Amino acid sequence: MKKLVESSGVEVAYKEVDVVTTGTFGAMCSSGAIINLGHADPPIKIQRAWINDVEVCHPGAAVDLYIGATIMSETRPFEYGGGHVIEDLISGKEVEVRATASGTDCYPRTKLRTTITKDDLNQFYLLNFRNCYQRYVCATNSRDEIIYTYMGKLLPRFRNASFSGSGALNPLMNDPDYETIGIGARIFLGGGQGYVIGEGTQHDPGNRFGTLMVRGDCKKMSSEFIRGAAFTKYGTSIYIGIGIPIPILNEGLAKKTAILDEEIVTDIVDYGIPRRGRPKLGKVSYKELKSGAITINDKTVRVSPLSSLKTAKRIAEILKSWIENSSFYLSAPAESLPTDTICKPMKQTEEIAFVNSVTHAAVTCTEDEEIKAVAERIINHSVNHVVVTDEQGKLRGIVTSWDITKAVAKGKRRLADIIIRKVVTTKPDESLEAASRKMAQHQISALPVIDQARKVLGIVTSEDIAKLLGR
Amino acid sequence: MVEQPVTAQVILEHGVPVSIVAAHVDSQGGEILAEVPSTHVEKVIDAFRKKGVTVTVPKLIEVDSERCIDCGACFSLCPVSAVAFREDFSVVFDEQKCIGSPCGLCVDACPARAIRLVEQHSSGLIK
Repeated sequence: MKKLVESSGVEVAYKEVDVVTTGTFGAMCSSGAIINLGHADPPIKIQRAWINDVEVCHPGAAVDLYIGATIMSETRPFEYGGGHVIEDLISGKEVEVRATASGTDCYPRTKLRTTITKDDLNQFYLLNFRNCYQRYVCATNSRDEIIYTYMGKLLPRFRNASFSGSGALNPLMNDPDYETIGIGARIFLGGGQGYVIGEGTQHDPGNRFGTLMVRGDCKKMSSEFIRGAAFTKYGTSIYIGIGIPIPILNEGLAKKTAILDEEIVTDIVDYGIPRRGRPKLGKVSYKELKSGAITINDKTVRVSPLSSLKTAKRIAEILKSWIENSSFYLSAPAESLPTDTICKPMKQTEEIAFVNSVTHAAVTCTEDEEIKAVAERIINHSVNHVVVTDEQGKLRGIVTSWDITKAVAKGKRRLADIIIRKVVTTKPDESLEAASRKMAQHQISALPVIDQARKVLGIVTSEDIAKLLGR
Repeated sequence: MVEQPVTAQVILEHGVPVSIVAAHVDSQGGEILAEVPSTHVEKVIDAFRKKGVTVTVPKLIEVDSERCIDCGACFSLCPVSAVAFREDFSVVFDEQKCIGSPCGLCVDACPARAIRLVEQHSSGLIK
């Protein structure tokens, strides 16, 4: 469609094209399946249940369960989760169900163990409450260490980046005013046919971050388009394949479905900062993202997709063939998706403390000083840590009372021989919880506070944090 | 057919210690199994190839094509550009470029757990 509009114009495209199909295959965490096991004899009102050691939700009546994609196995956490259970069931595999209950007069049973396949279930429906993000951000990492996030593995100091979404193939991007996508719209879902049942959570149409809530019969789906996912040190999720046909009802839609990757722009966001408002480092188009390399701070950075662009295209093509051979009929929505929803942040009633509220001046020294002078400074100021800086006040290392003691024990004479060069640091806007976690992880008792240029602003110690908690 | 003392030449020209684990030479030709420090593997393979020797490298990495979902998460992590996209955006690994276990950055980044490093006992089979 994009090529046709470019070559022949919107009017010709509107006359010639009836439907444009779209597709995406990416990680969609807010997903899960509702299942009904059928009643046991004697009957059980399930209180807690596990499928292949993944705890499943029991939010309703006796044997209705919801398999959440992000719930992790108790025996294989981070490798196997709800998403994998759903994939296994769709593939026809046998799964083990365990359940416990406290028992009632009408549901006397307290324990259950059985093995089932999807054919043994009554209902097995995908019920996903946030899918198909209209677009997403590009992620990178400013920290000195690798971070593992829902945007994948991000190397230190901007050495790579990642993005999600199929760009110009994305369903909502091709119908941004939601003229044809609404409640009851029939869609390709997981290899079968499903429906849009409303907008998804965190729907944010004003910022072109719209989402969908969808439903479909898992018994008719394929594990080619529903795959459990394991994100190291982050959690499990599920890859969902969605495709939506857009009928070209007017010239406006012909123009909208001509949208190109170079017109879809998103932000490069620093996931190294663990706050809700992450720093934005610039803008980038989906064309640049799909090229495999982008520019951050004047440097070329390789960028990975996290969505499968190959499968997204395949889904759009399959949907096209279904429509052409009359096995899929488009349906007009009963109600359009809202275009005015605002996405709010959480209301918080407890205050979080940040590093800047407990930072105090650091006792410092330079590399050319004598060990004796540093030791005297430690005694005079009653501290345990001395931060080593250069003439501009930038961080060069740290020396602790333990290091001085070690020097005396081993007969070392030069300060340069005992300075710790690899320093774990913190920033003023880091939460005390994160700072505390860092100290525990590295088994240290203080963190120099630095700015972007590595200038030493102060120090925060485990004692400071303990005092704050004590209050 | 190679008539020069290629192994000695490679060692002298590049200053790399090549350990000959096994060798078989007859009227038809020769075949050696060589062990090379992992820091010099690429250089040595290149040097032998330039001298007309067929070099086969055992697989250092194994990608399960059935598990792979072509998401591309591995692409930006590879320091030697051994991962690339075809025109249809399917993901392809260049097993000759991959340096295997000294790196392994892609392995835990794969959400489909499709990548596995292969256990190595020697670093190069040089024919």
